[in-house]
Amino acid sequence: MSGARRTRSTVVRALALAASLAAVLATAGRAAAQDRVVVRPEPGTPVVAVEVLVAAGSADEPADQSGIAYLTARAVTAPVAALLDSLGVRLSVDAQKDAVSLTLTGAPDVWEEATRAVLAALFRDPVDSAAVTRQRRAIVRELEAREASPADALAGEVERAVFGAEHPWGRPAVGRAETVARLRAPQVDEFLRANFTPDRSIVAVVGPVEREEAFDFLRPLLGFDALKVTSVDPPAPAESPVRQNYNSITTWVSASWHFGDDADVEALRMLSRLALQRVEFGPSRRSVYNARGELLRHAGGGELRLHLVVPPREAEQWADALRQAVAGYADQALSPQIFAERLRRYRGERLLELDLPEARARELARAALLGGAGESLTGLDGLTPARLRDAAGSLDAPIVVFLGPSVEEGT
Amino acid sequence: MLTLLFALAVAGPDTAAAPRAPAQDGPAVVVHRQPALPVAALRLSLLADDPAGYAGAGHFFQHLLLPSLEEQAGRVGARVQAVRTSDAVVYSIVGPAEELDYLAGVLRSALRAPASPSGTDLLSALRHLAEERAAERETAPTYVRAALRAALFPNDLPAAGTDEAAARLEGADLGALWGRMYAPERVSIVAIGDVRADAVRRAFRALPAGSGAGDGEAGIDTVPSLAADTPQATRAWIGRAYLAPDAEPAAVSVAARLLRTNLRRRMTRSSVEVEHWWTHHGQALALVVATPDSLLPAARRTVSGALEAAGSDVSAASVADAARAVRREMLFYSRTPERMAEIVGGFADRGDDAEAAQRYYARLEEVTEDEVRAVLALLAAQEPAAVEVPAQRIPREGRR
Repeated sequence: MSGARRTRSTVVRALALAASLAAVLATAGRAAAQDRVVVRPEPGTPVVAVEVLVAAGSADEPADQSGIAYLTARAVTAPVAALLDSLGVRLSVDAQKDAVSLTLTGAPDVWEEATRAVLAALFRDPVDSAAVTRQRRAIVRELEAREASPADALAGEVERAVFGAEHPWGRPAVGRAETVARLRAPQVDEFLRANFTPDRSIVAVVGPVEREEAFDFLRPLLGFDALKVTSVDPPAPAESPVRQNYNSITTWVSASWHFGDDADVEALRMLSRLALQRVEFGPSRRSVYNARGELLRHAGGGELRLHLVVPPREAEQWADALRQAVAGYADQALSPQIFAERLRRYRGERLLELDLPEARARELARAALLGGAGESLTGLDGLTPARLRDAAGSLDAPIVVFLGPSVEEGT
Repeated sequence: MLTLLFALAVAGPDTAAAPRAPAQDGPAVVVHRQPALPVAALRLSLLADDPAGYAGAGHFFQHLLLPSLEEQAGRVGARVQAVRTSDAVVYSIVGPAEELDYLAGVLRSALRAPASPSGTDLLSALRHLAEERAAERETAPTYVRAALRAALFPNDLPAAGTDEAAARLEGADLGALWGRMYAPERVSIVAIGDVRADAVRRAFRALPAGSGAGDGEAGIDTVPSLAADTPQATRAWIGRAYLAPDAEPAAVSVAARLLRTNLRRRMTRSSVEVEHWWTHHGQALALVVATPDSLLPAARRTVSGALEAAGSDVSAASVADAARAVRREMLFYSRTPERMAEIVGGFADRGDDAEAAQRYYARLEEVTEDEVRAVLALLAAQEPAAVEVPAQRIPREGRR
């Protein structure tokens, strides 16, 4: 990229990110008025899925306590594991940039008891120091086992490149082995009391429940205050491609496109799928060992990300291919016939992403966290070639990260 | 399953299960409407054994067809699977409900007599079968189960067949072979999702005609002895399996769960699985335990006395807990239309009527202490099928 284009792109990106900051604050304002309980009655679904999103993440953690949000969630729910097991309820805990996700799935006759136990553990029960110790050790073991994972290494580099090394979202949401190992029960207790509060939480329920009964059950447990979220500084993304040496025989190439919170998310999601199909392994792309695409959403917008694993000598070529895979859709709208074919496939894939009730609960909770409303799961209706083209055109140049062995020039 | 009971109790014709009698104008169809998400899961099963001498034929046809089915399914973002169970050759597809006719067409295409495959396709399918045969014997978890199954149900040949049968398949008249397996009246359909019964029946009304071929030349399938294999194992594996003929299936399921709970409590350093096997060949209860090599003698003793120990654990409370756990696991597993179709279809494949799944689910809650004790006594009265796989040890001179 030429110097002039880089400068202009940087300015445009900075303006976009500044707008995102304003959007974050605006989002918080909108969230203040939104309901923190979402219920989607599904009489035909055999289980109830409950998604509890606690809006506590990296931005709430002191820099030297990276991962404390995740540790807190695991430690305070560990004492109720036996109860949940006796009820046949599955619980999973996941760390996201801006929230901790707790997902419960269980039979219709036990979901209230399980939810009540988990919410009490989150908002009322004190920290159990033995549970903190056990979960800390478990998380450290898990993180140490993943230290040799190039996928994890790439994710870390991408976050630093997209948000900036000093930005809280530039750190892994689960922390690092060395930071988690230093965390102690008093710190967890302090973090719990300050951040795991009902007014920071959203609950989405999916399954054979009565809407009003579910609301009447949950509202007293969550209170009636407006949602409280932490505002986040604007990201400071890398201004040029990031190249990180890594001891592997392949190179991992990642491209991230930022979008604001007024973006056409469904069109972007479809774009990510179509762009991935242009670069993933195929008869004419045999050197692509692996490919993945994802659309990430957070306050202020999100990122469309594509990742490839390729031979080191082809890394630059494939980075260009990634750029073009997205940019190509901005040049000209697809013909109606071709778009219809693509949409037909995308619709099925998108629906199957939501075939688990817990997937639907997670989708609804995240939408509520970001200021979305209602029980609509997808925006598939109304997608057009023009929307796809405009979505691609709304994206600036991506932030590119290379992770792999260095390749000498000319060899 | 609670939902199925609810649906049948109060819902209209769209959720009524069609009776599974041999159909004159289409296959037996079971439909359960779940409009939560606009998807449809369709499961087509062909109740057929592999022709004698051609063990693995059903699964071989599946491997021949699967690439084409996947390509067709991909056009609408659907997902297709091909599974060869002990009871049936099963194809399932899940995708947008608005594509019901298309999805049904994909499954119907699997029933046509196979065209002469290219050499590449033929070799690819045979290679997949060979890999599956090898994989079943390579690692302890699958090896133990395969050996126990072979001991209890010798007529239940491996889905991937045998090496000799594969060699015969390579040169066989595939159309004639398919004709010996396929007849439209052997097909049953389960549809779960945002679907209506009449639309499903319409979508599957026109199935390919059968060839009317008879059984053909009878052959013999010889399964190599599993005893000759040395599967990989980092721990010692113990397998025991007991036939449960004529036992009440719900009681066997509850007994299996109770036995598992008892053993896991006593064998905290081992992994313990207790499974209820149930096919048209019969029922069985299988214990599969993996234990550190140093604990093998103690584990053997525990497993030998497992039934007696579990019997002393039987109480109204423990039986109720076990039944509740089995029911909840069924609900959890069947929480997608695809998996619910699998559960419902499994009952249909065993020759049960359309309401068998619901009856089984309800029956679990009614299982009594006496019934569980009777099952355990039935099992304890017989010599179990037994298989063990020792942990592999690196010779001292091979260690660095």
